[in-house]
Amino acid sequence: MAISDPPITEPPQPRLIDQMLRRKPVGVMTEETGADREGGELKRTIGLFQLTMFGVGATIGTGIFVILADAVPEAGPAVILSFVMAGFVAGLTAICYAELAGAVPVSGSSYSYAYATLGEAVAMVVAACLLLEYGVSAAGVAVGWSQYLNELLNNLFGFTIPDAISQAPEQGGVFNVPAVVLIWLCTLLLLRGASESAKINAIMVLIKLGVLALFVVVGLQGWNSDHLSNFAPAGFDGINVAAGIIFFSYIGLDAVSTAGEEVHNPRRNLPLAIIGALVIVTTIYVAVAIVAVAAQPVAAFNGQEAGLSAILEKVTGSTWPASVLAAGAIISIFSVTLVVIYGQTRILFAMSRDGMIPKFFHRLNPRTMTPVHSTILVACIISLLAGVIPINFLFEMTSIGTLVAFMIVSIGVIVLRRTAPDLPRGFKVPLYPLVPLGSIAGCIWIIKDLRAVTIYVFAIWTSVALAWYFFYGRRNSALGKVKP
Amino acid sequence: MTMVVGFAPDGRGRGVLHLAAMLARSGGEELVVCAVVPAPWPPGLARVDAEYQAELERTAQHALGRARARLPSDVPASYEVLHARSAPAGVLEVAERVDASLIVVGPATEGGSGMVSVGSTSARLLHSSHVPVAIAPRGFHVREGARVDRVTVAFGGSHEDLVVASASVAARIGTSLRVASFAVQARPPYTSGVGHEAEGSIEDQWIEEITSAARAALHDESAEIVVGEGEDWGEALEDVAWREGDVLVVGSSSTGPIARVFLGSRATKIVRHSPVPVVVVPRGRAEELASEAASASTAAG
Repeated sequence: MAISDPPITEPPQPRLIDQMLRRKPVGVMTEETGADREGGELKRTIGLFQLTMFGVGATIGTGIFVILADAVPEAGPAVILSFVMAGFVAGLTAICYAELAGAVPVSGSSYSYAYATLGEAVAMVVAACLLLEYGVSAAGVAVGWSQYLNELLNNLFGFTIPDAISQAPEQGGVFNVPAVVLIWLCTLLLLRGASESAKINAIMVLIKLGVLALFVVVGLQGWNSDHLSNFAPAGFDGINVAAGIIFFSYIGLDAVSTAGEEVHNPRRNLPLAIIGALVIVTTIYVAVAIVAVAAQPVAAFNGQEAGLSAILEKVTGSTWPASVLAAGAIISIFSVTLVVIYGQTRILFAMSRDGMIPKFFHRLNPRTMTPVHSTILVACIISLLAGVIPINFLFEMTSIGTLVAFMIVSIGVIVLRRTAPDLPRGFKVPLYPLVPLGSIAGCIWIIKDLRAVTIYVFAIWTSVALAWYFFYGRRNSALGKVKP
Repeated sequence: MTMVVGFAPDGRGRGVLHLAAMLARSGGEELVVCAVVPAPWPPGLARVDAEYQAELERTAQHALGRARARLPSDVPASYEVLHARSAPAGVLEVAERVDASLIVVGPATEGGSGMVSVGSTSARLLHSSHVPVAIAPRGFHVREGARVDRVTVAFGGSHEDLVVASASVAARIGTSLRVASFAVQARPPYTSGVGHEAEGSIEDQWIEEITSAARAALHDESAEIVVGEGEDWGEALEDVAWREGDVLVVGSSSTGPIARVFLGSRATKIVRHSPVPVVVVPRGRAEELASEAASASTAAG
């Protein structure tokens, strides 16, 4: 079923506004991705428990391992509330995401959903956000990895990589070499066609949960209620600011929705899995945060690297628990980096097929069937970011990109209910329109308290993307070339 | 029975189709031609690859379309696109599902022309397959309607099961059997002190032992036995006459995991230098075939 007007293809360029608003008909997408081919692999095989665990696994990534150093100085012990707040907003957005994912029958990215519902120009903006959610976050994740690597090296061999080659310039270094090495290791694997199996994925989740449990149990020994006495030194504003930083650690919750077509009874299980994963993740985060803020004074968080390991070391006075935690972090963050770089190249692949960016990005190596050129270019750019930009800025850019993308998805839910009320949807948000409106408001609420520099840079980045669209995308759009 | 053919999703590789058709025709078997493409990732942040996955599917279907056009029509075949974590994993999955008698793969792209080169895909297959694996030499080509004309089994003095198994397969598909041994003797710049002649007689002795061992295994005094001699494996293999329709059977090493294909250093060299298609038989499978053959002949006798 097509939800857009037929494309206009008279020789003179169509009107700008028509170009900007042209939407990719859902029928075309279904055909392109074979989403409803018979007997394909889209069997409904995933149950509620498994789906919830996918959500937990996709959400707990790098954030909690590194975010406290930036968030606690803003909010103090009240950072616990920031986690709850960020989690609540993430939950609302994920539920909206699920409706769009079910209505547009492709397991694509929010870029694809936006293209089908809100038009080409908005899709370009979402794409710009996704470059932040994937590309920039990969850089941030790699920097976090380098911290834990250094911590582990220090514990095991009494050796640390000098600041000059393990820190960004703003932090007194020149270039973060370990982060770049990680990115290229992952890139090599991806070029060879490596993928993550469900089994590896499950092991990674267990490692993450295991080391976080270790942190909570061992870290409890350092409990000192005095550290909690000044609960919210910066008041409500501080909590908000920290929530913006923390939002990063909830990215991935929406990934539950992408399994929509493989889930038993999605109407019931999708929202339950999102809420279940959200509750589990938030509980874990809050437990980790409480133990951390009770273990050391707020001032100690400032600039603390490989924070969770450092706290364990301080609490126990011995290095082994810290080393175990660091080792777990190194392994699991490695897999996060792999996943995110893969995701980035595949989003670019989709955009390239649509003609929004050059063909370069969808050229596949015939032997490995991987987009080799695109992967290498992406790795170069991520390396540059990881090498010279400090981690907190990378995470804030990721947060703002993701928040704006989610906000657009939530708007998309409302728009699609109006433009295509009869479109079959695998899942509908409850309490419409409260949930999407609440989701939009929540995103704006968190974005407004991000640092000014983050918002400016984001505005510039989005303008660049739109400029690209005006000069390149709208002329080369595959949709514009379709003859009726 | 069914043979599984691994076909590269880029649509290249005629050789593997020629080989598969020849083998299937000879054995009266059918083919499952599969193109393996990367599997989708588990639900998570990587699940933004619907368009990419669709492209993979399309490319693989296209490749299979070409395979369909090229494969002679007298060979029954079905076609399948498989999403798997790696090409060998996908091929093995199909082989297990259809209870395949044989897996047929092509050579690595970087191999020298006319020789069998083991690429990363076939190497993995050789290490983990429970069923025999046939590898086409680069640029392998046969006439339309060609069948296996002669089975040559590489024999190194032990592992008689393989010879027996090859004989039974050769008998079943109605071709002749030949036992081949390869004596590689690098002429050193110095001698061991006993003189060239004495060393030469050691070689003669070895050839004699091999010959009688092969005859004993086959219970056949007239079996065709050839010995290729040379200073290296390439020479030794060339020393034996080959013709169209030849297939070389090599056994896996006994040091490998039980019942799986694992090539010893000698077998690896034979495979590398073979000018004809090679069938690598896992040790366990050779034993099974040999005992089947033995019980069949007892029953007949």
